[in-house]
Amino acid sequence: MTNRAMQEATFMILTALANGSQHGYGIIADVQEISRGRILLRAGTLYTALDRLRDNELIEVDREEIVEGRLRRYYRLTPAGSERLGVEAARLESHARVALTRLKLAGGMAS
Amino acid sequence: MTDQEQLEQRYRRLLKWYPAAYRRENDEELTAVLMACARAGQRRPGLVASADLIKSGLWMRFHPRVPRASSTVRRAVLLMYAGAIFTAVSLIVAVSSLNVFADTEGLRLLGHNQPLPISITVGVVVGLALITLWLWLARAVSQGRRGARVLCTVLVAPATLHLFGLKGMVSLVFAIGTWLIGLAAVWLLWRPDSRAFFHREDVALALRPTASQHQTP
Repeated sequence: MTNRAMQEATFMILTALANGSQHGYGIIADVQEISRGRILLRAGTLYTALDRLRDNELIEVDREEIVEGRLRRYYRLTPAGSERLGVEAARLESHARVALTRLKLAGGMAS
Repeated sequence: MTDQEQLEQRYRRLLKWYPAAYRRENDEELTAVLMACARAGQRRPGLVASADLIKSGLWMRFHPRVPRASSTVRRAVLLMYAGAIFTAVSLIVAVSSLNVFADTEGLRLLGHNQPLPISITVGVVVGLALITLWLWLARAVSQGRRGARVLCTVLVAPATLHLFGLKGMVSLVFAIGTWLIGLAAVWLLWRPDSRAFFHREDVALALRPTASQHQTP
């Protein structure tokens, strides 16, 4: 997972956890907000991703709470997860910068 | 049965697409998120949400990474196996050293002041018992037995006291090595990620609705 480009959903989940620990529903709501409503994570997809991220030790369980009789498990980034997110964000930023520069040079970007 | 109860029952049926081991660990959490995402008055899971759960459940079945302990528990179990190997090596070294250096100096270095046959017998019996204990604890911890985690923690006390009673240099080095391995394993077993693993059955039992709740008209 280290050398491959990260899937957008994975990137957004890690970004949602960059501010601190969150539970499953909090991650879904945060990803929707960060992506301005473009990405709506389904519970099944989210938990498949969380399971993979835990296996890769990019996230870990922070704590568990029971709220109104329902289990809330909070996840947080591990140091490896923070590093991986930072690397991926820098990679995306670099690609975006190149794309914008070339569009400007070609005069193809509306000002 | 209220709309919410009907919806929850239908979601739980959909979750049966997941492997049983995965459900034991995540069923309650996943249900909580599904219910939180539901619209007011919703009685049936949506088509897209159902397809997503079936797809994810099948994916989990074909990629059997479960049952899996948290990474901290896995590392603790590995350390316990390392502890068993370390104890076995120290036992072999001690016995072979006694055979090779069966003189006063050799015995003094190993911390043995008793007559040779008794030292060997006691040493071998204690060593084998410790190896068995390491292996049993590793197995019990990997199965999520909380009693084993408590026992590991309690055993740190006699292991620490044992260090003060040792005299021979070789024995002391091996004892400190074993003690450090045990201490690291216990530290890992009490990390938050490990706690979630050891308490997953309790949470599932405490939160799972009873059959009567589902059958209420």
